[in-house]
Amino acid sequence: MRYGFTSTLLAALLFVPSVHAAAQTSARTSDGKPNLQGIWQVLNTAAWDIQDHSARLGVPAGQGIVVGNDIPYTPAALAKKRQNFANRATADPESKGYLPGVPRIMYMPFPFQIFQAPDQIVMIFEYDRGIRTIYTNGTPHPRGPLNFWMGDSRGHWEGDTLVADVTYFTDETWLDRAGNFHSDALHVIERYTLADADHIDYEATLEDANVFTKPWTMRMVLYRRKEPNVRVLEYDPGRLIDEANASR
Amino acid sequence: MRTSALVLALAIALLAPLGAQDEKPKTVGGCPATGSLAFHTCAIEKAKTFTPPRTRSGKPDLQGYWRGQLAQSFSMEGVRGNEPLVGDKVMPWRIAPPMIVDPPDGRIPYQPWAVPIGRIGVNYKDYVDPRTACGGAGVPRLAQQDANQIFQPDGDQFVLWLFEDHHVQRMIAMDGRPPLGDGITVTNGDSRGHWEGNTLVIDSKNFNGYNWLDDSGNFYTDTAHIVERLTMIDADTLDYEVRVEDPKEFTRPWTMAWAQVRVKDPGFELLEEACREGQRDVDSLLQQGFKYYFGNPWRERAASR
Repeated sequence: MRYGFTSTLLAALLFVPSVHAAAQTSARTSDGKPNLQGIWQVLNTAAWDIQDHSARLGVPAGQGIVVGNDIPYTPAALAKKRQNFANRATADPESKGYLPGVPRIMYMPFPFQIFQAPDQIVMIFEYDRGIRTIYTNGTPHPRGPLNFWMGDSRGHWEGDTLVADVTYFTDETWLDRAGNFHSDALHVIERYTLADADHIDYEATLEDANVFTKPWTMRMVLYRRKEPNVRVLEYDPGRLIDEANASR
Repeated sequence: MRTSALVLALAIALLAPLGAQDEKPKTVGGCPATGSLAFHTCAIEKAKTFTPPRTRSGKPDLQGYWRGQLAQSFSMEGVRGNEPLVGDKVMPWRIAPPMIVDPPDGRIPYQPWAVPIGRIGVNYKDYVDPRTACGGAGVPRLAQQDANQIFQPDGDQFVLWLFEDHHVQRMIAMDGRPPLGDGITVTNGDSRGHWEGNTLVIDSKNFNGYNWLDDSGNFYTDTAHIVERLTMIDADTLDYEVRVEDPKEFTRPWTMAWAQVRVKDPGFELLEEACREGQRDVDSLLQQGFKYYFGNPWRERAASR
């Protein structure tokens, strides 16, 4: 069962083209859930700007990940977003080496790895040693009020889709380098669906009555990193910032 | 509002170890709690007759939440009563036996060049503790007191060891994959593991050498090779052994040991301990003349050798 292709001819056909990937993951975990384990990374420009944008110096042009492209900011929040954009070089929490929050960490241009067991799913991010645990053991969010940089994630399976409910955020993380933002009332509902062995359709719906007039959704593909022996390494922005300043 | 999670994490980090120390149990996992050597000697024997639970794939099941015991953060060499920091007015150190079980004298077998850097030396006097600067405590200091979690995900290709301390994680590759190349270093090393009987053996290299071993500035460098052994001696106790080898810094390999005791509080989970996001100490330390560590003392020494 380790190689996952003993059950049906169809499975064998799917896995034969990449013995390496097949050796890494069976299509299902031992408890029959879709196996999301492996190293994943986006191939989009959402880290710079989650909306449609032309190229800027050092910023690749990109089609946004926001469904419909428009973010339903309140008028005051839209003004704040524009201010953030103007001041982004120093105002972006990323520039201080802080944990980027959810969903931003999902589309940083760094790999992350998913580890899975029946009662919890752990994600380890190369960026800032980030850790997310999505508990799938039926436990509710703890009693608040609480503020976590990465929120508190509780998940369940809807058919073959992992649904994670994430809450208890701070108001100090942004959504991208273009100043898109939220408050500590942010509530994120994520959906992870394995499209095939090497792609996850990822969707996040954001609600935040302090900033948005209605919920909105971002959608993107997570790609499996398939290089032999690819590993999640370490990018610790805080340490790198301190080290650069110390050596001046 | 934003400080609540940090305050909570700090409260846990500060209060929990004190509570654990004040209890002063006479035994840990049925072995003497008088010190690392007595505990570890007993634990090795006890492990021979204990059969740990198994995961659904048949591996020893070490999963759950753990907290270091018979451990203190002041010095791996222990704290003697005549050391000046025992009487410190602000943060008095507690008298404690060495956590080093080999060599028998409980001292780190430094080569002469390294003695004045470690052991309340140059590191302690001139540098900000890298843990204070939010670098994380490093291997094996991570596993001293704060809560940690061992997680054995489906497929047995990795074991995760997660730490509340500064959201540090270790991904231990169990599938015999090739090691990282020499050109890549990471804070907690490239960790590759295997099972020897019921013992999880973790073999780590490729450290960046930015970690201290303890509050007194004892240290290893980027050429260290660290082998850790985790063995269950009863349902709620792990024997934790750490062997450090580096012919460039030490005269011989040497070994530390302490216990990991299961955290049994109902509903316990690791919380997020964001560090950099809330720390307010480093600027003040830099103003007092302390410098960032980044392995500078031994790197400069190595360059002149």
